[in-house]
Amino acid sequence: MIAQVRAELLKIRSTRTTIGIVVGMIALILLFSLLSGLLTKAPSLTSTEDQRGLLGVGSLAGVFSALAGIMLVTSEYRFGTIRPTFLFTPKRSRVVAAKLAAGLLAGILFGVVGEGLGFAIGYAAIAGRGLPYALNGGQTALLLFGTIGGIALWGALGVGIGMVVRNQVGAIIGLLAWGFIAENLLFAFVPSVGRFAPAHASDALMGLTTDHLLPAAAGGATLVAWTLAFALAAVGLAARRDVT
Amino acid sequence: MRSKHERWRRKPVANPIRRSDGLALSEQVAPEPAAPAASGAVVVADGLTKRFGSVLAVDSLSFALAPGTITGFLGPNGAGKTTTLRMLLGLASPSSGSASVFGRPYSELAQPALRIGTVLEATDFHPGRTGRDHLRMLSRSAGLPDARVDEVLRLVELEGSAGRRVKGYSLGMRQRLGLAAALLGDPELLILDEPANGLDPEGVRWLRDFLRAFATGGRTVLVSSHVLAEVAQTVDQVLIINRGKLVVESSLEQLTARVGGSVRVRTPELARLQEALQRSQIDFTTLNEQGGLVHGVSSERIGDLAFAAGVPIHELVAEGSSLEDVFLELTAEPQP
Repeated sequence: MIAQVRAELLKIRSTRTTIGIVVGMIALILLFSLLSGLLTKAPSLTSTEDQRGLLGVGSLAGVFSALAGIMLVTSEYRFGTIRPTFLFTPKRSRVVAAKLAAGLLAGILFGVVGEGLGFAIGYAAIAGRGLPYALNGGQTALLLFGTIGGIALWGALGVGIGMVVRNQVGAIIGLLAWGFIAENLLFAFVPSVGRFAPAHASDALMGLTTDHLLPAAAGGATLVAWTLAFALAAVGLAARRDVT
Repeated sequence: MRSKHERWRRKPVANPIRRSDGLALSEQVAPEPAAPAASGAVVVADGLTKRFGSVLAVDSLSFALAPGTITGFLGPNGAGKTTTLRMLLGLASPSSGSASVFGRPYSELAQPALRIGTVLEATDFHPGRTGRDHLRMLSRSAGLPDARVDEVLRLVELEGSAGRRVKGYSLGMRQRLGLAAALLGDPELLILDEPANGLDPEGVRWLRDFLRAFATGGRTVLVSSHVLAEVAQTVDQVLIINRGKLVVESSLEQLTARVGGSVRVRTPELARLQEALQRSQIDFTTLNEQGGLVHGVSSERIGDLAFAAGVPIHELVAEGSSLEDVFLELTAEPQP
């Protein structure tokens, strides 16, 4: 199993796609952190929740972490490397488990880099503008670990999504359409259901306290449940479907 | 000046497999017998059937491959060869029937890459990944050391290009990279799907020499092709399928005999040729003092025999139907 995880990590590292995803992630977080850190008017940057929003901009890395997870599966189907992969490891559940683990590990790295960057810039903006830092130690820890943990889970979730959908373009469009449009609509119109959706569960896990969001622990549990559900679907489908 | 590429193909393939301990596996005088002793067969298909909707792609296919043989798996495009191979390899599940490799279904083998090397398609690479990284990710998943990657790269003479991304590889290079991946685990059985596709004549010859060398010492090869001529000089036996059904399972010799055609031969040293043919128990009819008709063997075989006997040949013409004709006849669509 460790052998398979090492192989999967090498797959992530050995294409330029990953570099592109990381560069895109850093660029987007830089842009959003700097814009909101510098342009937001001071009164809108004093409350705990306001500062959480700024310091947690790094959670955008979750999108990229999920993309990396999706690519780890769908590019194998797209380019046919899934065949040698399964020929070398015919126990498909083992391949899927290794991919989930690799997605999670890569996600931790995305999280540390992304949220590290977002938090550093946000903190510098708050301090540089002479505003008092509003989060206590516990809140700061929850923000950092919750955000990074959420980003990591999205890496594994991406693997699950990729394995269920298999088609690269379909999986990516599905992720973006769900995360940026469908889920926001759902949360806006039916918050009692929308708060259980994965992106809002990750918001909760960061410690955000927007109306209707779940408590942090419940948010974390919900995101874990989503990840497990997709992981199980991925294992089941991988075992049943023929590789053409 | 010779190009690097050329050098690769001209190099004879004496010991295709070398382990990290320096042991060349194909050059020993008395090779170890191949592992599957009990049942004998390395690959067994038993009533293998695959149905896609209303289409019967593979129809109760049964065969067994003995160790140490090179088997040509032949049939026109769409005959069901690739589907059969996928079922053998656990990539597709049969609608009915079963397949086993070394006595078990492929998917139940613990470390299949250490016993079976496979090349399915020459396009199964991520174009943005280097050849070396492609091999590394596979060797890691099998728990093999990275040093083995460099060994197989040397073997297929791709070391110089291993650091380049696969998108810059020619089709021949991709075929060799695929072969390198198949050889990572130093397997006893090679399964190749249309490996000669896209190779130029010299590449085909390299492959042929390679497979011959591989099969010495009890190792087994199953190689599919839609062109009989591609494999006729390599294989010991043929499985011919058409529309999912096995139509012929025989040795190449038997198939050639079945052709029934004869080969007209002309030589200034007829007596010596007759002697050589007699030694190999091949029928010969004298037409005149310069030649005659050889029955039941291919012109390749006669040419080889004459060459071995040092008999000059001035003419060698297949008369009547050739192997290729028989192949086409066997695999033809039924007349409406």
